[in-house]
Amino acid sequence: MTFKQKLNDSPIDFAIEIINDVKNSKDEGVLKCVQCGMCTSTCPAARHSDYNPRDIIERVLAGDESIPNEENLWNCFYCYTCHSVCPVGNSVCEVNQILKQIAIAKEIGYDKLYEYLGFADSYFTAAIGAIPERFFPDIDQDVPGWWEFRQNLEQIRNELELDPLMPSEEVIDEVSKILTITGFKSKIERIRASEEVEK
Amino acid sequence: MKDLPTKDILLFRSCLVSVEYPGVEASTKFVFDKLGIDYAISPKQTCCTGLGHYSDVFNQIDTSAIGARNFKIAKEMGRPNLVMMCATCYAINKKSVKLLNKKDKLRNHINNLFEENGLGHLKYEKNDLKPTENIFHVVDILYAKKDEIKKHIKYDLSDYTIATHHGCHYCKVHYEDTIGGVRDPNIMDELIEECGCKTIGWYDHKRATCGTGFRQRYSNPNLSFTATADKMNAIADEDVDILVHLCPNCHIQFDRYQDLISKREGRKFNAIHLNITQFLAIAMGGDFDKVIGVKAHTVPIDSVIKELKEVKNER
Repeated sequence: MTFKQKLNDSPIDFAIEIINDVKNSKDEGVLKCVQCGMCTSTCPAARHSDYNPRDIIERVLAGDESIPNEENLWNCFYCYTCHSVCPVGNSVCEVNQILKQIAIAKEIGYDKLYEYLGFADSYFTAAIGAIPERFFPDIDQDVPGWWEFRQNLEQIRNELELDPLMPSEEVIDEVSKILTITGFKSKIERIRASEEVEK
Repeated sequence: MKDLPTKDILLFRSCLVSVEYPGVEASTKFVFDKLGIDYAISPKQTCCTGLGHYSDVFNQIDTSAIGARNFKIAKEMGRPNLVMMCATCYAINKKSVKLLNKKDKLRNHINNLFEENGLGHLKYEKNDLKPTENIFHVVDILYAKKDEIKKHIKYDLSDYTIATHHGCHYCKVHYEDTIGGVRDPNIMDELIEECGCKTIGWYDHKRATCGTGFRQRYSNPNLSFTATADKMNAIADEDVDILVHLCPNCHIQFDRYQDLISKREGRKFNAIHLNITQFLAIAMGGDFDKVIGVKAHTVPIDSVIKELKEVKNER
């Protein structure tokens, strides 16, 4: 992968944008990075792919606004190992999530979400984050017996004397309303429209 | 250490526990009842959004707005202590409470949306909940009652080789609140010890991820299973019979995909996978079908636990 480094006049602006992001819980942690590389040396994605968390922060601090285009960004496991070992209290894991939301806001990350729109659908129909059905054939193939188990789920839950799985209509309506007023629903519709165009 | 509640608990339902390992919920209730922990479940509480959140579909505002609704339900029940069976629910909810308390702009934005759309009853006031004082994982609550576990133990599981896998989203996300170590996590090892068993303790990759990696598991299976194999090999090197979990995400990755990874690695992996509450429930005499929910497991529990040995009553 090649990228063109785009250094602007005030490279710190990009870091400030990340610091001000609603997701950031580490105050100015990103500015404190000493490039020690603890993150990369403990990262499972760095161990098994070309993802390099130390490099992400170096580029954020250099004002390289092309990072959200980076394919490797999507290899992060969200295991927070980098976050837990950082000696200055930075979190590359959070920065990564913020960079991805920037990519999505710019519509460059839409294609990464197509497979996962089922999470949104199950929220509107059942207020639950069920594994999207488009993955079922893969799971069925990889996990012998899983499909049969799922067919028997209700019976198994009854035997365990658990409450019903589905929330009431009233609850589903309230949750759907929340996800409409936050702008989530219209975002999902835009992503779905983009997928239709690509088809 | 932080104060650990044993009452006024809302046991937070997890979507993965509900549809993949429902026995974890039944086992948690069974063990909580034995230990006299005061809890309730609410049919109004909904999923934390975790799987969608970490697949980058839900952004922070969506997740925290859903969180605010669940927090209000807990408060109104008089059960402000949210206790999670899933490490991701735990991390997601703790982060939402932190952000809603700290970021006035976020809180006001969500509250205004609620107010303007007839959902004013869901408004979250600053410090309605506290991240350290109100948001817990089941293991924290078990830890509070650690000394009482021993007297409820009916079966001796000490002949098995036992190891623990502490979920990343319990240990690493809010590390300032993690009990029993972050770099060398041991909370479950300590709980297992109360059953009269000794775990193997540290092993290579003990603190590593299960490899699910949310989107990695589905969009990047090769990367996901390669990371899991690191850990599965380390566990097999120690001849582990039972790997104990605290998160349904990790549980799926190990239990559902063990045979597939066995084939990839050309090595037979034989461990069974139990949640810590299932492990405790077995030791406390819980029924395999009515409490443990073994039918939901891909690696059969009776491939390792063939019979149960009663503890010698020396008390």
